[in-house]
Amino acid sequence: MYNWNIWSVSVSIVALVIIAPVLAIFYSAFIGDTSLWPHLFSTVLPRYIFNTIFLMLGVGVLSLFFGVSTAWVITRYNFIGKTFFEWSLLLPAAVPAYIIAYTYTDIFEYAGPVQGMLRDFFGWTSSKDYWFPEIRSLGGAVLVMSSVLYPYIYLMTRASFLSTPTSYYQVSLMHNRNAFFHVALPLARPGIVAGLALVLMETISDFGTVEYFAVETLTLGVFNVWLGMNSLSGAAQISSILFIFVIVLLTLEFLARRRQRFHEKSSGQDTLSPLSLKISNQCICLVLCSIPLILGFIIPVTVLLNFVFKGLAVINYLEIIQATITSIILSISASFVVIFFATLMIVVTFYKSNTSQRVLTFLASCGYAFPGTILAVGVVVFVGWINDLIYFHLSYLAGGIIVLFFAYLIRFLAVGYGSIKSGIAKIHPNIVDSSLTMGVNFFKIMTNIIIPLIYTNMIVGGILVFVDILKELPMTLLLRPFNFETLATYVYQYASDEMLEESSLAAIIIVLTGLGPIVYLNSTLKNISKKKSKLV
Amino acid sequence: MKKFFLISLLYINIIISFDVYAINEVNVYSYRQPILIDPFFDQFTKSTGIKVNVLHAKKGLLERLLSEGANTPADLVLTVDIARLNQFVKNDLLMPIESSILKTNIPSHLRDSKNRWFALSKRARIIAISNTRIKPGAINRIEDLVDPKWKGKICTRVGSHDYNRSLLASLIAAHGETKAEEWAKGLVANLARKPEGNDRAQAKAIHEGVCDIAIMNTYYYGKMKFNKKNTEQKFWADSINIIFTNQNDRGNHINVAGGGLVKYSKNKENAIALLEFLTQPKAQALYSSMNYEYPVNPTLPLSEELKSWGSFKEDKLPVEKLAELAPVAQKIIDRVGW
Repeated sequence: MYNWNIWSVSVSIVALVIIAPVLAIFYSAFIGDTSLWPHLFSTVLPRYIFNTIFLMLGVGVLSLFFGVSTAWVITRYNFIGKTFFEWSLLLPAAVPAYIIAYTYTDIFEYAGPVQGMLRDFFGWTSSKDYWFPEIRSLGGAVLVMSSVLYPYIYLMTRASFLSTPTSYYQVSLMHNRNAFFHVALPLARPGIVAGLALVLMETISDFGTVEYFAVETLTLGVFNVWLGMNSLSGAAQISSILFIFVIVLLTLEFLARRRQRFHEKSSGQDTLSPLSLKISNQCICLVLCSIPLILGFIIPVTVLLNFVFKGLAVINYLEIIQATITSIILSISASFVVIFFATLMIVVTFYKSNTSQRVLTFLASCGYAFPGTILAVGVVVFVGWINDLIYFHLSYLAGGIIVLFFAYLIRFLAVGYGSIKSGIAKIHPNIVDSSLTMGVNFFKIMTNIIIPLIYTNMIVGGILVFVDILKELPMTLLLRPFNFETLATYVYQYASDEMLEESSLAAIIIVLTGLGPIVYLNSTLKNISKKKSKLV
Repeated sequence: MKKFFLISLLYINIIISFDVYAINEVNVYSYRQPILIDPFFDQFTKSTGIKVNVLHAKKGLLERLLSEGANTPADLVLTVDIARLNQFVKNDLLMPIESSILKTNIPSHLRDSKNRWFALSKRARIIAISNTRIKPGAINRIEDLVDPKWKGKICTRVGSHDYNRSLLASLIAAHGETKAEEWAKGLVANLARKPEGNDRAQAKAIHEGVCDIAIMNTYYYGKMKFNKKNTEQKFWADSINIIFTNQNDRGNHINVAGGGLVKYSKNKENAIALLEFLTQPKAQALYSSMNYEYPVNPTLPLSEELKSWGSFKEDKLPVEKLAELAPVAQKIIDRVGW
């Protein structure tokens, strides 16, 4: 009925433009020669695929464990330090994966303090005297990536737990069923799956960590084929395999949400009030919450601070201040753009589109799972076509800033989608339907009803995007204008030459800049439960 | 609305601050980090008044230049590997330069026969050995590394890194593909650990006793040995001896960093001036004293630092050949799992 209206058509066009760079990658995959395939199949491809699957499984399981267990104990119980963990468990989200990889290697390699202490203690003299797990391995990659990615799951799961009405838990008590497995977990499923999808997409697209740890995943393979065999088409072909992984993930997420509707009832029910615990059980909660925080935040930040103090003399403060200003302005304005489009696209698809238009919007979010550099090349190729088409060079505009924004939009739309979708899903359809029967036009409904209702979700999404852009490296590196340094590119140019003393301050600033918004995220979460009691 | 206005102001701010279309300047796409190349540009600006704008990335600059086509703002491309440089030639993105200065300053095997690219510095890939656990003279040729007696003693970075790929390409040129593959297989069989880390990490591994033999570039040795900031790295350098390989036959494998003039350059004269400047003794001396690379300009004596580990005979194979054989080398690397 609403299929071909101005809203859904224009959103479909925007979606098409956003998918175009990904299509450009596919295009070069299909026109390119496939002569490399037999070679790749018989040599590296099985290994790439195995490692990728194992990495996803590992990171998936570990970050689910970190994210869901902490979200549950924090929502359900009172224990010492709870108010601290509530927000601090989000902190690892501010630590870029490529930085955590450097810091972990520094600690756990042979010359690092951990093995050094063990050697001193046991009197070992060389690496041949004992066995120690190699940090630069698949297992190491699982550990460091889970430690910084679990906050996505924690955040979305906790929001779900918080908004589950108490009466449901009471019912589970009456039937003598476990409240966690029979009520909380099933109801939080959409949140958990949405968080997990983001985690896994980040995992697939990661290049920094797997390169540093020499774990041969498909993403690493993309680069070997592209730069080693000078075959962009071969690289694009491997990216297409990646794309299959992504489609599977996105479909799972889509299905998880589709089967159920999660409207908030306006009955003004109270949400769960936390239980008190015995001291021994409090300790269990304490340990459960400390581990991910230590792994994802305290260890890497301590190492970075250590480097900062070692390198105080060699730090170029002026350059770092400039990079900080550039980074913050860039991230704030780009996250506005991303959230604007994410909101528009989700709202319109939700209320006004038919299935094929929905699929299009849904595909527009797949950019999140492509390796940044490959996506950047897709953008470059696409912008090149546009230039040939309309004889107008986009990169002249603002020296390429517009192109950079476009790239961020493609990459981080999925992040904005995630939080806005969960907001929309909770608006009761009656509200919009009754407005429609009153003949109010869609723009008014959107600005007067929908946006105010999902405002918090937009802020949450915006903050996640902001932190992501702040950390973003590969696309910024390739698409930026001349003489343009963000904190991430600044860190990279030193860190890639193993000059950690020079780069650590900028890395710390990335983390610190991310902190403020993340702490704010936590307060919006708390409001979820408060607001509802106000409604009564 | 207020917010919108504010943001627009910020955009304008960014736009203004990154305007690159001024008059007397040259725009460089560089694969080398600004921190390593800026001192050269500063000198150039000081002596000519021409401003140098840099965009640094390690991947994708070729694709960016291809898509920008005639609209590109870039004037000059600088790479740290001949295979990458050659890709620009293959895609017809570089323009020949007729310059007597470049011809005099750069020996012919280090520049394109059609004058589209020019090497600016040389890097030698050598063998490092533990100075306590391996006797001097036990290894002389790169081919010696596959001797089964070194089983479990060798460390390298991953095979698919530019430097190893190029080394393997030189072996293909010398012995043919089959022999080169046997060599790579033998090398992998002798590895002490999974290939990982960069060249510096291999020296560190020797220092730590993880392995006794490693493959590395000379400038990493220089950067460790003369490191004033991070004295720990001096210990790594102090526990190794370096060996120039194949001194009695074809010579030690070298790769080059170089550059070329972009076909659609809008500041041609400035770009050529910069390229010429980089081959002059003053800049060439910087390459060796700052980055510990070997100058291409034969008139220049080696710096004290470079002299400290001796001179060597280099493999005179035209470096273009390395670029040509790189994809073949990558396939071997995939097959043997280096």
